[in-house]
Amino acid sequence: MGIQLKQVFAGYGSPRNENQTDVLKNLTFGIQEGQTVCILGENGSGKSTLLRVLAGTLHYRGSIRLEDTELARMNRRNLSSQIAFMTQFSNVYFSYSVWETVMLGRYLKLNRFLGRPTETDRRRVAECLEMTGLSGLKEATLGELSGGQLQRVFLARTFAQDTPYILLDEPTNHLDLKYQSQLAQYLKDWAGRERQYPDGTFHCNTLIGVFHDINLALQIADELIVMKEGEILACGNKSQILQADILQQAYGMDVSTYMKKQLEIWNG
Amino acid sequence: MTVLAGMFALAVSIAVGSVTIPIKEQVLILGHKLFGAAKPESVEASLISIMWSIRMPRAFLAFLAGGALSASGAVIQSVLQNPLASSYTLGVSSGASLGAAIVTVTELSIPFLGVFLLPVFGFAGGLLTVLFVIAFSARIDGNVKNHTIVLFGMVMSLFVNAVLTMLSVLASEHEHQLLAWQMGTFAGKRWYHVGILAAACLMGLVLLLRDHRELDILSFGDEQALAIGVDAPRVKKRLIVIAAFLTGVSVCFTGTIGFIDLIAPHMVRRIFGSVHRLVLPMSFLAGGICMCLADLLARTILAPQDLPVGAVTALFGAPFFMWLYFGKKGN
Repeated sequence: MGIQLKQVFAGYGSPRNENQTDVLKNLTFGIQEGQTVCILGENGSGKSTLLRVLAGTLHYRGSIRLEDTELARMNRRNLSSQIAFMTQFSNVYFSYSVWETVMLGRYLKLNRFLGRPTETDRRRVAECLEMTGLSGLKEATLGELSGGQLQRVFLARTFAQDTPYILLDEPTNHLDLKYQSQLAQYLKDWAGRERQYPDGTFHCNTLIGVFHDINLALQIADELIVMKEGEILACGNKSQILQADILQQAYGMDVSTYMKKQLEIWNG
Repeated sequence: MTVLAGMFALAVSIAVGSVTIPIKEQVLILGHKLFGAAKPESVEASLISIMWSIRMPRAFLAFLAGGALSASGAVIQSVLQNPLASSYTLGVSSGASLGAAIVTVTELSIPFLGVFLLPVFGFAGGLLTVLFVIAFSARIDGNVKNHTIVLFGMVMSLFVNAVLTMLSVLASEHEHQLLAWQMGTFAGKRWYHVGILAAACLMGLVLLLRDHRELDILSFGDEQALAIGVDAPRVKKRLIVIAAFLTGVSVCFTGTIGFIDLIAPHMVRRIFGSVHRLVLPMSFLAGGICMCLADLLARTILAPQDLPVGAVTALFGAPFFMWLYFGKKGN
């Protein structure tokens, strides 16, 4: 169980365009159910593209199997009831309230035509708002919010989808320190938690995230994937990845010396 | 509330004209016509026929056309995440009038279609234009970004309008009619026009309301819609086709009338919020009210001259829209 990628290529541009340049090149790896996987790498290394492919919002060549089903063959409802995806920052043109926005995450759980939100939906939305510290802003419209608040709204909506897999693209880049650490704690608790599928079997929550903040990633990840120019440079647990030369290659600088220097500031 | 305002706008629009028909007498006439009440003694027969065969179809048609345009404007704005888009910017309106113009100029008649000939061609013209816009945008830009659609739609719209102008010069015997079309008019409409448009509106609105939640989700962009579980490309196309249908049918009876479809949804969003369960019906009502009042102005400002209603909506709509849209950013 989990997600298995085999020789996956992907890129942007029209699917008919033969010479589109691939952003992801020949990725083969597996993500085990119940893990927290963080993707590291410099700008343009293909982290976000990888998340898009996993969320089924971008075409790919090769094979991605989600619990033995090929991703490309799943219909939208089916896929999105398994995998939720929080994209990077987005513009907001219309003035929905915070509550309405987070309730949209319950879309697949609601009945199609007149289905009004049930008590379960309301409770779940309230929980997600609580978790992101937005309970007091329920009635605020999106246009009134700051960048960090908006990001928390979208986080709440993603968690309201109640899927066993969650993909997060830079979930903390607009957040204050307080919310960053709260989120890290919440993600740690959430991932690995058991849930019962409709067919009665039990499965664990799986989290896949792209983080700018290496320290945050190290703090929550079971497994790290380091990307460079669309390929996987290394993957493994913390101690495997923390080797100086891997991060040096990935970011083109001496990361560990830099981090240690920063620590010295705190140590006086 | 809004429904009451709508009825009031209709009543006022029926009341005012070369002869005034007070609302009390309207009720009497309605009672007579609809419920077979005794013919009101106090009301002249000519008044009854003015109201029943001229004012009422005109007012109702204006109301329905305004509603149809506004509802489809609201849909297109949400689907393209562009508060400035409308059926007009996508070329639906001009495509529909071209379709209708072709019928008029060629004096085409197809058996069985009868009175449906014009709406069918209007719908087909509007739909073909918008499909062409989408297909072409997809060719030059694989991700079919929304601003590609809007830009290309505006180009197409201008192009089709130019064809329409050429057509009206070439077919000089229809020139007046075609010119009126380009600015929109409700003059000389019959009950069957109202009937067809009402049926189309009902169908369109029900279909749109079925997708009210998808519309909410799509207004956050295609990628987020996909992530939440809406098959964005498919639902988007379906919604654009329904919007084209509403616009097409209304345009082929009345001609192109701008601004209502921008203003009404904007007002509604500011008052009722953005949730489409409310935005759709309220845009319909608000659009209907605006159009009724615009038509009222069109036939009374320079009476007995009948101004093209499109000129009135643009004259009042443009500054009003500026205020609505840019005024918001000020505060």
